[in-house]
Amino acid sequence: MGTTRTIEVPLNRVEGDLEVRVETTDGVVTDAWCAGTMFRGFERIMVGRGRLDGLVITPRICGLCSVSHLTAAARALDALAAAEVPPNAVRIRNVALMVEHVQNDMRQAFLMFAPDLANQAYRDVELYDEVVRRYAPFEGETAAQVVRQTKRLIEIIALVGGQWPHTSFMVPGGITSVPTTGDLLQCQLLLEHFRSWYEERVLGCSVERWREVRSVEALDGWLDESSAHRDSDLGLFLRFARRLGLHNVGAAHEQYVSFGSLDLPGGDGQLVAAGFAVGTAVRSFEQEKISEHTAYSWFEGDEPLHPSRGSTTPYASGHEGKPYSWAKAPRYDHVPSETGPLAEMLVGRDPLFVDLVGRDGSSSMVRELARIVRPATLLPTAQQWLADVQQGEPFYSKPTLPDAGEGYGLMHASRGALGHWVRINEGRIDHYQIITPTAWNGSPRDARGRRGPMEEALVGTEVRDPDNPVELGLVVRSFDPCLVCTVHMVDRDGQRSSARRLRVGT
Amino acid sequence: MRRIICIGNRYVLDDAAGPRVHDRLCGRPLPEGVELIDGGLGGLDLLRHMDGAERVVLVDAVRGFCRAGGVVLLDPAAAGLERPARLDHATGIAYLLASLPHACERSVPEVLLLGVEAPPGAAEPDEKAIDEAARMSLLAVTTPSAASARSELS
Repeated sequence: MGTTRTIEVPLNRVEGDLEVRVETTDGVVTDAWCAGTMFRGFERIMVGRGRLDGLVITPRICGLCSVSHLTAAARALDALAAAEVPPNAVRIRNVALMVEHVQNDMRQAFLMFAPDLANQAYRDVELYDEVVRRYAPFEGETAAQVVRQTKRLIEIIALVGGQWPHTSFMVPGGITSVPTTGDLLQCQLLLEHFRSWYEERVLGCSVERWREVRSVEALDGWLDESSAHRDSDLGLFLRFARRLGLHNVGAAHEQYVSFGSLDLPGGDGQLVAAGFAVGTAVRSFEQEKISEHTAYSWFEGDEPLHPSRGSTTPYASGHEGKPYSWAKAPRYDHVPSETGPLAEMLVGRDPLFVDLVGRDGSSSMVRELARIVRPATLLPTAQQWLADVQQGEPFYSKPTLPDAGEGYGLMHASRGALGHWVRINEGRIDHYQIITPTAWNGSPRDARGRRGPMEEALVGTEVRDPDNPVELGLVVRSFDPCLVCTVHMVDRDGQRSSARRLRVGT
Repeated sequence: MRRIICIGNRYVLDDAAGPRVHDRLCGRPLPEGVELIDGGLGGLDLLRHMDGAERVVLVDAVRGFCRAGGVVLLDPAAAGLERPARLDHATGIAYLLASLPHACERSVPEVLLLGVEAPPGAAEPDEKAIDEAARMSLLAVTTPSAASARSELS
């Protein structure tokens, strides 16, 4: 007879209002619950406001991916006004977004995820001392470099958007500023500088060499090829993650959604494809197939609804029993779907990730790997788009915003599929719905009782020490859950307090 | 360069003290060599304003240091801030301050934390407390040394 116990994963002590609870039997997780513990209600804040207010208010949803929310809000209004966004504006919007993704990927990988690799639970594992030397908080060689490098990189967003975070420089029809030649040159220099660091430190090779890695065999060959590859942060991650068995844990439902992102300037198509994948089989994307379930959430209404019709009306009497989260449960075609860089790679049919997942399925290692190497695609493209900006050509084309109508803006944010749905009536917003990437990944159970992706990924994980359940932290953090700081305050008995102040989803 | 960096969330009443002090100082003549910055919820991204500064006075809401509405000058090293184990989406001052010795590329500033004790519950900071914090922030940023600021204002 096995012994069953419940573990409150200590994630919430540092990361605020995401609570993860698991049940284990004989040290293996048999069930899991992810709960958002804070109602935010940005959707309700928007109702009754002016048509453009989403451009200023919704970026405040997140301090790390505010450009993503701005992009989604602007795209919803672009659609509403049938705006034609000039290619220059598309380029600058894209570059700002890509820079935000890259800083997020590096900070998440080496300042949030990697400290778990340096957990003392792994002190007897080969390479541990090197992992600590690089990723110990603050002192770690890579950790300190990431802080310095990302600090410089986001100056690009300040140059083209005026500030970071929470810029509002995108508007329907384009952007509000015209970067000077000097601005663009400075952006190029910052990108070049960052790319050099990324290639030397993180990849251990050029971006072009890395992009030749198109299969599992090629990945092993790349590792064996040189000490520069093996000893890069990517090489060390791969070697250490395999020793920890991270390639065998953390698989979710093997269903992936990408909303697509980064419009090609002056043409059709997007750099990041939209789609839905079951394993490695990709289907076309239809936004009508999105629905939000609230069966296990503290919201009114039981019927799963498309966000253009759904509402965000909180309801919690304390006596319902079943609900356990302030996050809704978004579903694509009625099934739970994971989103993020891995979904982006699979929907985009990246050969390496199709091979990795096709052979052994998803895992925490593959999910994190997708994040670490995503800049290898983004950086050269951002450089190209900056170089393509045509001075003298427009950055804005004034659209006519109607007094009534509907629009939606979909995109792939740093953490995955993000959508804003807006409806205008008599010149004011009368309906606004937002689905964030972490609402997909950290969702509670749906109307059919199926777990959300993070919950599913935790099941089967072995926990060696319930007092130091680092294995669970690695699974959860491989999703890069977004827990936004809405308020900070120094408490005497702690750092800037996170208790009761963070959220998952919206 | 010396800087007063006001931090917090102006839309959350009990965290609005920093931005309110910023607003109070904004437009006033500042002593030579002093800059005023609305740091908002910048967290680690405030590093660029700290790297190379001679002295930084952080103005923020605090809880648990003195009576509600009181203003207190703290030495961050002695304020009992827990050292965070990792960067997460909530880490603010503690992570920023712990990063300074490792991440500054020019020089590490002297840092003083000017705290405005938040009232109980979600209440607005007291007007007098904002005035007092604005006055003290100017003194703290201009005294000859951080040590003298602490001895004069503590």
